[in-house]
Amino acid sequence: MEQVLIFRLGEELCALDVAHIQEVIESPHYHYIPLAPAVFPGAINFHGSILPVLDLGACLGFAGDQQNGRIIVLAASLCRLALAVTAIQRIVPLDADALLSSREDGRLAGCSRAVFSLDGEMINLLDAAQLLASLEMTEMGSGGDHGA
Amino acid sequence: MRVEITYKFVAGFIIVVGSVVFLNLLVPSLGIPEEMQQLVAVACAILVGLVLGWFFSRAFTANIRHLREAAERLSHGDLSEPVRLARSSFPDETADLAASLNLVVESLRELVGTIRASAVRAAESAHGLSATSEEMTASSQEVANTVEQISRGAETQAEMVEKSSRLIREMAVSIDLIAASAKKLSASASDTARTAQRGGEIARNSMAKMKQVLGDVERNGEQIVSFGTQVQKIGKIVEVITGIAQKTNLLALNATIEAARAGEYGRGFAVVAEEIRKLADSSSDSAGEISRLIESIREESQKVQSSMQASIREMDSERAALDTTSSAFEEIIQTAVATQTKATSIAELSQNQAEGATGMVAAIDEISRVVSDNAAATQEVSAATEEQSASMEEMARSAQDLSALAEQLLEAVRRFQLAPEKG
Repeated sequence: MEQVLIFRLGEELCALDVAHIQEVIESPHYHYIPLAPAVFPGAINFHGSILPVLDLGACLGFAGDQQNGRIIVLAASLCRLALAVTAIQRIVPLDADALLSSREDGRLAGCSRAVFSLDGEMINLLDAAQLLASLEMTEMGSGGDHGA
Repeated sequence: MRVEITYKFVAGFIIVVGSVVFLNLLVPSLGIPEEMQQLVAVACAILVGLVLGWFFSRAFTANIRHLREAAERLSHGDLSEPVRLARSSFPDETADLAASLNLVVESLRELVGTIRASAVRAAESAHGLSATSEEMTASSQEVANTVEQISRGAETQAEMVEKSSRLIREMAVSIDLIAASAKKLSASASDTARTAQRGGEIARNSMAKMKQVLGDVERNGEQIVSFGTQVQKIGKIVEVITGIAQKTNLLALNATIEAARAGEYGRGFAVVAEEIRKLADSSSDSAGEISRLIESIREESQKVQSSMQASIREMDSERAALDTTSSAFEEIIQTAVATQTKATSIAELSQNQAEGATGMVAAIDEISRVVSDNAAATQEVSAATEEQSASMEEMARSAQDLSALAEQLLEAVRRFQLAPEKG
């Protein structure tokens, strides 16, 4: 049974498949990356390897305070990237029947796999692969080559 | 050369006898007949005798007449001329008599002059005496009027003295009342002073208690501050606990992620991780609870501190009020003591005044006696003045008599003419 990690971006609740997550860590000291886009606030030292941090809220357009936030390190098999989020909620098992079709509008277009409801809250289930793809497209579109 | 009358007669007789003898001798040589000789001699002798006798008797008679005229003048009181005899080569007793008469005239003249001057002086003195007695009569009249005024004044004085005496007695009664009031005032002032002293002691006790309470409150404040410090330490510990709980939560999350990736093998591990997460959540909740409690404690203690400061401020103002009250009591005590002193001095003064009033009453009685004596004395003076007036009239009469006597005396000596009458 698939499990997802629910986290918050600003005021919005999002979820990510646990299988794509390596680890969740506290927000450490960022190392500034020269000439990096605004959505990359810096890099962290994760168990001896350098990982760029993507401000997911800023990337997806959910404004929010990223101070004292958490960092989700994605699985190394998928991508060597860390995501800065506002807060971590919890891990819940995903009921496939509860999934609704994704809203094909706005800022989450292309990276949201589905939407489901939990305890009266609407949660966007993000697709890491699509997210990375759209990120790379954005990077390509802006001419930069800082992707994974 | 002085020759007495006797000797003059003797000398005349001798001359007559000598002329007889000489003629007897001379005649014969004249050639006159014998029978005629005797006759001629006798005739010549008689002639010589007649001539001598005429000369003698003429001189003598003239002197006697002079003396008689002088005596007559003397008897008429004419003392103006001295007796002057014809100058003679041979003065005799008539000249002595004339000198004696002149001495008498001189003596009488001096006597009359003296008498006249004395009479004039006596008359003047009598006039002066008369005038003086008139003046004295007038004066004694004035004295009598004055004495009458004095007598009337003495009556008024007696009435005034009576009135004064009555007033002073009333004043003495008032002074006694004042003295009694002053004593009462003194007693009231001492009561006030005692009450104010009690009030001051109560105020001091309140002050001491308030200081004690204030000290307690300050100590409480310090205790609350230290309590707050302790609570803050607890808060720090709770923060640490919260941090640990969050870390534990994160660790449990990561463990769950690991367990999920381990698949079916990680299921038990996931359960343990879930339990750990729940524990971490509950510790976090408890820590949050403690934090909230600490927050409320902090707010409460702040409120307590501010209310304590307000109490301290109020107590300060209360203490100032008590200080004012205490000083007011002190002032009341001082005022009461001053009042007591003043009232005592008033009582003493009024005592003195009462004694003075008694002395004044005695003095006024004395004055009354003196006034009575004065009235009696004025009556005596009045009587004496009347007597004096009578004596004065008598004296005036005597002076008039004296004047008349002087007039008479002058009249008596007026017929003596001292100086030769002119014209």
